[in-house]
Amino acid sequence: MCDQSQNIYLPNLVTIESIIDETPDVRTFRLVFQDDRVRENFTFRAGQFAEYSVFGAGESTFCIASSPTRKGYIECTFRGVGRVTEALRRLETGDTMAVRGPYGNSYPIEQFYGKNLVFVAGGIALPPLRTLIWNCLDQRDQFGEITIVYGARSEADLVYKRELDEWQGRTDVNLVKTVDPGGNGPEWDGRVGFVPTILEETGPSHENTVALVCGPPIMIKFTLPVLEKLGFSDEQVYTTLENRMKCGLGKCGHCNVGNVYVCKDGPVFTAAQLKAMPNEF
Amino acid sequence: MSNHIDTSAYSAVTAAIRSEAARLLAGGEVSAVIGYLPARRKGSAQPAIITSADQAAELIFSPACVNNLAVYLTKAKKEVPKSGRIAITAKSCDMRALAGLIGESQLQRSDIHIIGLPCPGVLSSVADPSALLTTDTVASKCLECEFNLPQGADFTPVVNVTAPRGPSRYAAEIARLEAMTPAERWSFWKAQFSKCIRCYACRQVCPFCYCEQCMCDRNRPQMVETTPRPAGNLAWHIIRAIHLSGRCAGCAECERVCPMDIPLNLLNRKMARELKELYDYEAGFEPQEKGPLNSYLEKDDQSFIK
Amino acid sequence: MRSPGKRAAVRVVPDNETKMQKHISEQNLKALLDRLISTGTRVIAPRVETGTLLYGPIRDASQIDLSRLPRRSAKETFFPVCEDILSYEKHGQQVTVGDVDPARFAETVLVGVRPCDAAAVPVLDAVFTWDYNDAFFLERRRKTTVIGLGCTTADDACFCTAVGLAPDSSTGSDLFLTPLKSGGYACQICSEKGERLVAAHGDLFTAADHAETVPFATPSPGNIDLKQVKSWLDHHFEDPLWDEIATRCVGCGACAFVCPACHCFDIVDEGTEKQGRRRKSWDACGFGKFTLHASGHNPRDLQPKRYRNRIMHKFKYYDDKFGQTLCTGCGRCIRICPVGIDIAAIVEDISQRS
Repeated sequence: MCDQSQNIYLPNLVTIESIIDETPDVRTFRLVFQDDRVRENFTFRAGQFAEYSVFGAGESTFCIASSPTRKGYIECTFRGVGRVTEALRRLETGDTMAVRGPYGNSYPIEQFYGKNLVFVAGGIALPPLRTLIWNCLDQRDQFGEITIVYGARSEADLVYKRELDEWQGRTDVNLVKTVDPGGNGPEWDGRVGFVPTILEETGPSHENTVALVCGPPIMIKFTLPVLEKLGFSDEQVYTTLENRMKCGLGKCGHCNVGNVYVCKDGPVFTAAQLKAMPNEF
Repeated sequence: MSNHIDTSAYSAVTAAIRSEAARLLAGGEVSAVIGYLPARRKGSAQPAIITSADQAAELIFSPACVNNLAVYLTKAKKEVPKSGRIAITAKSCDMRALAGLIGESQLQRSDIHIIGLPCPGVLSSVADPSALLTTDTVASKCLECEFNLPQGADFTPVVNVTAPRGPSRYAAEIARLEAMTPAERWSFWKAQFSKCIRCYACRQVCPFCYCEQCMCDRNRPQMVETTPRPAGNLAWHIIRAIHLSGRCAGCAECERVCPMDIPLNLLNRKMARELKELYDYEAGFEPQEKGPLNSYLEKDDQSFIK
Repeated sequence: MRSPGKRAAVRVVPDNETKMQKHISEQNLKALLDRLISTGTRVIAPRVETGTLLYGPIRDASQIDLSRLPRRSAKETFFPVCEDILSYEKHGQQVTVGDVDPARFAETVLVGVRPCDAAAVPVLDAVFTWDYNDAFFLERRRKTTVIGLGCTTADDACFCTAVGLAPDSSTGSDLFLTPLKSGGYACQICSEKGERLVAAHGDLFTAADHAETVPFATPSPGNIDLKQVKSWLDHHFEDPLWDEIATRCVGCGACAFVCPACHCFDIVDEGTEKQGRRRKSWDACGFGKFTLHASGHNPRDLQPKRYRNRIMHKFKYYDDKFGQTLCTGCGRCIRICPVGIDIAAIVEDISQRS
């Protein structure tokens, strides 16, 4: 956070250290703060987001996709869908961009200590959970069983492919990866089926377990009832909402869902909180 | 000197609208009637879309019925239910917009039932809707009106009205503009558009601004800056004036609704004058697919190409 | 913070406040403003600019026009229509970012501010200090002295008295002027800033006497119980009312822009990739693309949903979050709305519903 200035809109300059193409249209940047003090002192919690910008194009909102346990850099993963993300895609390693944040609330990870965790994600919605997954794996002994159900439309659409392999290789993680019917190539070694269906088949126990879900609205719509069926209460299920955010500071008025400001009261919500929100997200 | 305007026609027109709307809705001939209802403030009116015959008894026509309702029939207004035939009350200035929309294939003539409104004039501004209608408070466009008995509607109440008589404000404004040198005109418009706050009231009430993505809403590329600063404002209004040339029906709603009193209609009237001189063309009298700026004819004047 | 509720139209001045009263003549008020201008203070007052009465900087006091409500509110003294929040310059892979120094905001006296405009400014404090302090707004607040002016006329769009204010309300003013029948103004000192201004120019003020004030206006809006309104809004997110009142809304931003309390904004970069500015400027929740996601999904895709947000924000959400109503009853949105949407009528209607 740029706290030398009174200007809450002033971002920190970062250098792009590396670029990974997760899929043909999804890219991950590893970013290093240019100011030494910021680089050393920047902290955040899993679940928080930031405003990433290319000067001349504007700002865009993504979660911080790396874990707070990994110091010295942050990562963001994004798809090129608009003016700013397309401008981001034109950047190369060594280029300068800017980051403002961290903003929003975060997963109450301390409340998860001693519990089993079930992560359920779809497509490009894995990044907001990936930060927490690594945050937990980096203190593995604090948690019980860790299950990850992750799927995408096709093999090519899966993000963090190398990390999926890493998680698959670990004995202390149960990774269930899937692709939509028809999305599997000849060498696919995962499941085939929509994420909610595969989740139901995996059937994790709700006892002493927290479920964390992130995905497109249609996936959330079908996943929450599955969790309910499996016995999860609405307070045991967490999700993170994406809404059109702009200032990230609770002032510009763009992100409210009813009286809930996603940038301040969220983006992490329990299913109970989600159900209490009016239907405008 | 301000002259009183005879407003006795309004109640007769109101009675006629009510019975026609009730008939249409009760008989299922239309699914909705777009008209005016009274509002809270004394003398005020508001656009309304009614769907049942009993609501027809509340429709009115008064000097505060300034709105061009044609805007509600455009594809830009997705919340207006468009199933079946729709009736719409229209003053003759509003009908020019309907003609234009039909010409541009945005409306089918057979889909609408036009209730023509014989009109003695409407208020220039409804900031005070209870104002008396006089030749001072009447809208400038009414002083130019040739057809205050609408032509070509499906139903027009037989009510005698006379157009308000008074010195043309348009003529005076255009004369003032034409007396300016190009440099003076540029200064004039720069000063006017620097007032703009980009509320887009002008665009949103205009029946011809029905683009699903306006030039100003595009950001790849960013054609027009979105912040209300002089250069972007100028670009926005010039683009809009050009896009409306040959289409603008002269309803002057843009000028009426502008919170910053920018004489938008003056620019549109001036463009219309240019088109009349260059191409002998006036928009809105007949549904026509392409105006002069959208079509090329061998006989077009090319003398301006040097 | 003022809490919403009904108030009497005329406020009885308690005895201990008579010490805080002065008088100032018309002539001396102008002299005060000219003096402030000549010593480098920025003076903002209602004046006609290119045909429209607005609050704006004046070069000399003869420009001011206190006869009626300006077209836009005074919020732009603190929350400008558009302002730079940073500048940038790119050379190769290096970028230099220029900050904006809040110290550059000039000392300002804002004069002739109506109660509906003055009261909105402290209401905005809540959102601009919610966890993060917006120095652009707060620094301007700190450097501005507000001289309010009571209202002796009102029209049927005014409804300040229905939302807890009155034509004689000094909320938000540092000095509050009330026109005197004999000319000039009674001047109530409402804050330390006001006291300092009077002390610095004591020669222009005289002691208060018993000169009669011009009677204050008596707006007569309908019956609005803000608690009743909020309680209905709490349970009617879905309701046919929204289609009834807002199918006619054309989706411009006029209401939000003239409103003293609306504060939504956009942040954009303008310039080239090599150099330019990042700016924030007024935005409005009535615009069709206000909540449009890059994916194409739009949670408020139809106008009634957008208009619902306006009413909810003003009469429920801001109360939920900050305990205040986001409306001061100035009536501008009513007068300016292209399609005659009347927020006072809507809120009155809601107030009647149980």
